[in-house]
Amino acid sequence: MDTVTDTKPVAEMVNIRKSFAAVQALKGVDLVLHHGEVLGLVGDNAAGKSSLMKVLSGAYIPDDGEIRIEGNKVHMSDPLDARHLGIEMVYQDLALADNLDITSNVFLGRELVKTHLGPISALDSRHMEREAKRLLDRLKIDIPSVRLLVERLSGGQRQAVAIARATAFNSKVIIMDEPTAALSVASIKLVLDVIRELKVQGASIILISHRIEDIYSVSDRLIVMRQGRKVHDVPVTGTLDEFREEVVAYMIGARDDFSNLEKN
Amino acid sequence: MSLKDEMKPQRNILHDYGMYIAFVVIVVFFSIATKGLFISSRNIGNLVNAMSYIAVMAVGMTLVIVIRHIDLSVGFLAGTLGAVAAISLKYWQLPVGLTIPIVLALGIIAGLVTAFLVARMNIPAFVATLAGWLFYHGLLQLVTRKTGTIIINDPIFNAFGNGFIPDIKGIMFLPDVHKVTLLLGLLGILLFIRSEIINRRDTKAYNFGVIPMNMFIAKLVFFSIIIAGITWVLAGYKGLSWSAVVVLLVVFLYYYITTKTVIGRHIFAVGGNPEAAQLNGISVKKITYLVFGSMGFLTAISGILYASWLRSATTIAGTGMELDAIAAAFVGGVAVSGGVGKVTGSILGALVMASLTNGMNLLGWDISIQYIVRALVLAGAVIFDVATRKRRT
Repeated sequence: MDTVTDTKPVAEMVNIRKSFAAVQALKGVDLVLHHGEVLGLVGDNAAGKSSLMKVLSGAYIPDDGEIRIEGNKVHMSDPLDARHLGIEMVYQDLALADNLDITSNVFLGRELVKTHLGPISALDSRHMEREAKRLLDRLKIDIPSVRLLVERLSGGQRQAVAIARATAFNSKVIIMDEPTAALSVASIKLVLDVIRELKVQGASIILISHRIEDIYSVSDRLIVMRQGRKVHDVPVTGTLDEFREEVVAYMIGARDDFSNLEKN
Repeated sequence: MSLKDEMKPQRNILHDYGMYIAFVVIVVFFSIATKGLFISSRNIGNLVNAMSYIAVMAVGMTLVIVIRHIDLSVGFLAGTLGAVAAISLKYWQLPVGLTIPIVLALGIIAGLVTAFLVARMNIPAFVATLAGWLFYHGLLQLVTRKTGTIIINDPIFNAFGNGFIPDIKGIMFLPDVHKVTLLLGLLGILLFIRSEIINRRDTKAYNFGVIPMNMFIAKLVFFSIIIAGITWVLAGYKGLSWSAVVVLLVVFLYYYITTKTVIGRHIFAVGGNPEAAQLNGISVKKITYLVFGSMGFLTAISGILYASWLRSATTIAGTGMELDAIAAAFVGGVAVSGGVGKVTGSILGALVMASLTNGMNLLGWDISIQYIVRALVLAGAVIFDVATRKRRT
C-alpha cells in the first residue's frame, strides 16, 4: 500500500445532515476513520448512530454533507454503490439466508461463475467452498464445515459468518451494527475474537454497540452521539469503569464537547 | 488448519429417502393387492401419461412455494391454454409448430401478469391467484361456450399425450420389448452412477465429508434398480411415452437450474430471507417475475399435455389441477415457510399421489375413500417431513 493513501483517513464524513419529515436525525455530524482503526460508536436509542451508518453504507442519501473514501469524494445512491466502494455493512438483523449453507451465504449476490450460457450462469461451487473455508480459517472461526446450513449455527457463529462475508471482498470499511446484541456470553467472546483478528490483519472497522465493555475491549477510539450530534470523540483509555462513567455522562447529555460549535 | 473437515449429515437419511421408501411400499402394496395388474407395463404406461401434466405443474409450483407464494390460478389457466391450442389447431388452422409456441408464450404472459400483481401491486399471491382462478374459469367457459368440447384431430399434437418414442425396427433380440427405451434406461443408470462417483470424488478431493462407502454403494444400487425396474416395465408395453420425455426434460432442466446456477441460488435465497437477498443485490421483484413466468410456461406445457392426452379441450379442463400440483409439491417435501424444496421431490410427490389414485381405482375403491386416503397420505407426508427435519438447536 502506498504511503499517501495511508496517511489519509480511509473514510471521512463531513457535516452530514439528514431529516425525516420534521425530525432532524443527523444535525451536521463529522466522522473520521483511519486505516486499521476500530472506531466505537455509541449513543442512546435515536441518537442517530444507525442513521449515520446507513448514510455511510448507502442506505440513506444525506440531505447535506460530504463523504470521502480514501480522500476521494463519493456519491452513493444505494447499498450496492457503497459495496462497490468497499464499504460493507454487517446488519444487526443478520442478512443471512437460513436455508442456505455457509458458502452460499458468504457469496450471496456475488457468486463465482464457471460458465455463462445466455442468462444462465453455472455456479463454481468447489471454488466458492474452498474460498469460504480459507476465509473462515483466516479469521480463526471454528466451524466444522462450510456446507453447514446457517440455520444450524449458534448465534455467535452466524454473526461470525456475517462478518466473514463482509470481509470477503477486499472491503475498505466494515460497519458492524450491534454485532453482540442478543448473544450468549460464549458467542460474544467468539464475535469479539473475530473483530480482534480482523484488527490484527489491518481492517478498518466501525462498531456500533450498546455494550460499552465490548467497545472498550476492542476499539481504538470512541464517538458518542446524542440527539443527532456528535458529543464526544476520544481515544479509548483508562480503566473500564472510568471509561464507562465518562461515556454514560456523554450519552445522557451531562457532558458535551461540541455544543459550543453549533447552537440550534 | 483450524477447520475440522468431518461433518455429520445435516439431515438424516430417513428424511432424505423416506418418501422414496414410501413410494416403493405403495408400489409393492398395490402390485400385490391387484395381483400384478398395477405393475403391468400397460398400467404403468397409462399412469405415467396420467401424472405427467401434474408433475410438470408441480415443478413450477415448487419454485413458487419456495419463494413463499402460491398459485391457485394454474389449473384453469392450463384448461384455458389447452382450449386455445385446440381452437388454434381446429379453427385457426395453424400448424402444431406454430400453435405450441403461441400457447407457451401466452402461458408465460399469464405468469408475468400474476407476477405483476404480486411483485408490483403487492397483492398477496393467494388473493391475486384466487382472482386468476376465477378469471381463467370464466375465460375457459367463454372460449368454449360456442363449441362445447373441442375435439382435436391433429395426430402430431395428440402424440404428446398418447404417443411413444419410436423403436428400432428389425431386431430379433427381445422381440416384444422396446429397445430404445431399454437403451435410454441403461444410459440413465450409467449417467446417474457417473455423476454420483464424480461428485463423491470431488467432495473428497476438497476434504469434505462423504457418506460411508457401503452406504454409497447401497444408494447407487437402490436407485439403479428403481431406474432399471421402471425402464423394464415401460419397455414391456410401447416404451417411453412422449409425455414421459417431456417430464424428464422439464425435470433435468429445472434440476440443473435450481441446483447448479446462480439464478437457482438466488431463488432459494429469496425464499430463505427476502430482505437478506435484497441487501445483497438480488432483486426480489426480478426473481418473482422469473418464478411466476416459469410457472406460466410450465402451466402451458401442462395444458398441452392434458388436452393432447384427452385429444380434446373441454369446458371443465384443469379443474382442481392446481390443488393436485400443490399436494404433489408438499408430499415431495416443499416447506410452507419457503426456501426449502426439491424439483425431484415434487416429481416423486406427483408420482406417489398418481400411484395412489391409480392403484385405488384398480382395486375399485369408492371415490370418497380415495379422497380420504389421499388426505391421510398428504398429511402424513408433511408430518413426517416436519418431524424428521433437523432444526437448529
